[in-house]
Amino acid sequence: MHALLRTADAVLRRGARSTAPEASPPTLPRLLLCVLAFGGFYGVVMGLYRTLNGQPDGALQALYSASKTPLLILGSFVIGLPVFFVLSTLLGLRRDFGRSVRALISAQAATAIALAALAPVTLLFYLSTADYQQALLFNGVCFAVASCAGQAVLRGHFRPLIARNPRHRGLLVGWAIAYLFVAVQLAWLLRPFIGSGLRVTVFRPEAWDNAYVVVVRLVWSLFTGD
Amino acid sequence: MNERLRRTTRYLHDRLLDLDRLLRGEATRPDAVGGKRLEVSARGMAAIAVLLAMFYGACMGSFSLLKSVPESLDDPYGPFLQVLASTIKTPALFLLTLVVTLPSLYVSNALIGSRLTLLGMTRLLTASIAVNLAVLASLGTIVLFFSLTTNSYPFILLLNVAAFSVAGVLGLMFLLQTLHRVLSPDEAASTEPPAAIDDADALPESDEEAPEPAAIDMPAGQMLGRHTKLVFRCWLVLFSLVGAQMGWVLRPFIGNPELAFSFFRPKESNFFAAVFGALGKLLLGGG
Repeated sequence: MHALLRTADAVLRRGARSTAPEASPPTLPRLLLCVLAFGGFYGVVMGLYRTLNGQPDGALQALYSASKTPLLILGSFVIGLPVFFVLSTLLGLRRDFGRSVRALISAQAATAIALAALAPVTLLFYLSTADYQQALLFNGVCFAVASCAGQAVLRGHFRPLIARNPRHRGLLVGWAIAYLFVAVQLAWLLRPFIGSGLRVTVFRPEAWDNAYVVVVRLVWSLFTGD
Repeated sequence: MNERLRRTTRYLHDRLLDLDRLLRGEATRPDAVGGKRLEVSARGMAAIAVLLAMFYGACMGSFSLLKSVPESLDDPYGPFLQVLASTIKTPALFLLTLVVTLPSLYVSNALIGSRLTLLGMTRLLTASIAVNLAVLASLGTIVLFFSLTTNSYPFILLLNVAAFSVAGVLGLMFLLQTLHRVLSPDEAASTEPPAAIDDADALPESDEEAPEPAAIDMPAGQMLGRHTKLVFRCWLVLFSLVGAQMGWVLRPFIGNPELAFSFFRPKESNFFAAVFGALGKLLLGGG
């Protein structure tokens, strides 16, 4: 536990050692452990909504949410990684690939750590209101804030790389597009994270659907009034 | 038998390293193409391109899997056949486009007065296709993820069009820069490297020489020559038109879940009408 907190501290302070070739800890397994532990912790808190509102099977929902949150963070990262590899090669940045990936994983860890830090606030929010829509919105805001923290860590790690070769900026933009594109759909698939209603389910019955299609049609119907 | 397998594996491994050199820009640096030719094997690049295209084809065809089909459709093996068909058709799309356009490209190339030989041109084109397919295959994981988790046929159609477009643009950038380096090796070789960036936050290595231009970068201080522009435009128009038509002839690549599997579709409509139709369906529903 102490080692995990030390790793989290090192990630957030984004010392130069994180991107140095002879990097001492935080090492890759520790960073991944950060994502699993802190992401899982936030998942548990997120899933407590049912318990705090007197709905059945709260513990089961908390368990599902605890496994889904790290899966969301790491899944988006893994699916986008091949594109990142080819882009970095094509842009002539392969020499820095190891460092770039370390920076990306540090950013995933930072996102999970920021989420865990927001967990008490989420708990307080749950205690203040029972409204499901508000809980949903609040968790959305928490994920957005945590993503900004991850982005800040990523930028910090990439600053020296960009200074050495400005093409890293374009690589970061490409990565951000691919990562976000996948993350939105993955989050949509992994619903419910909070859970409401009588039964707890791993996925929604209509899980195999597309987030973008739903949004596009929603926007279209707003304009056309259909 | 084992010996043959070992030799094949070794051959593919070496060709993959060639592709890696291409992607890194090492095989297309001015000093590497100073001899007015690209030092990669056209056959080897074609072999790697086929494998990458097969991978992407399988990702594209996977949309047919895990989908609920209308009860009236008695086609139990359709989804698997679609994956197999897409795996075969994607490399065919690229190789047939190359075969169909190569004679015209060579003639236009010779008429313009370019010094590229037929072999040099074939190498350059297969290398560009391999780069294009490397990007496409890297997008394969994203396409596979969406294919397996999405029911909307128009969305997947447009996603694949977007993936092909991104890969195509990067492949063309590689082709343009390599053409420039091959057709004007003298100016390219004499280019001064760009000045190093002076930044307090820079890494310790930043006092080394400035970064080499990437495979898709224009070396600093250079401009495209008249020949390069003309050759590239001719190739671009020919390749795009034939490629789009070839894709249309070889469809379906994804497979509409509401239709039974067929290796080819009847002659109808065209590529652009299909893309606009998919956009309409996405907005108005029914997909």
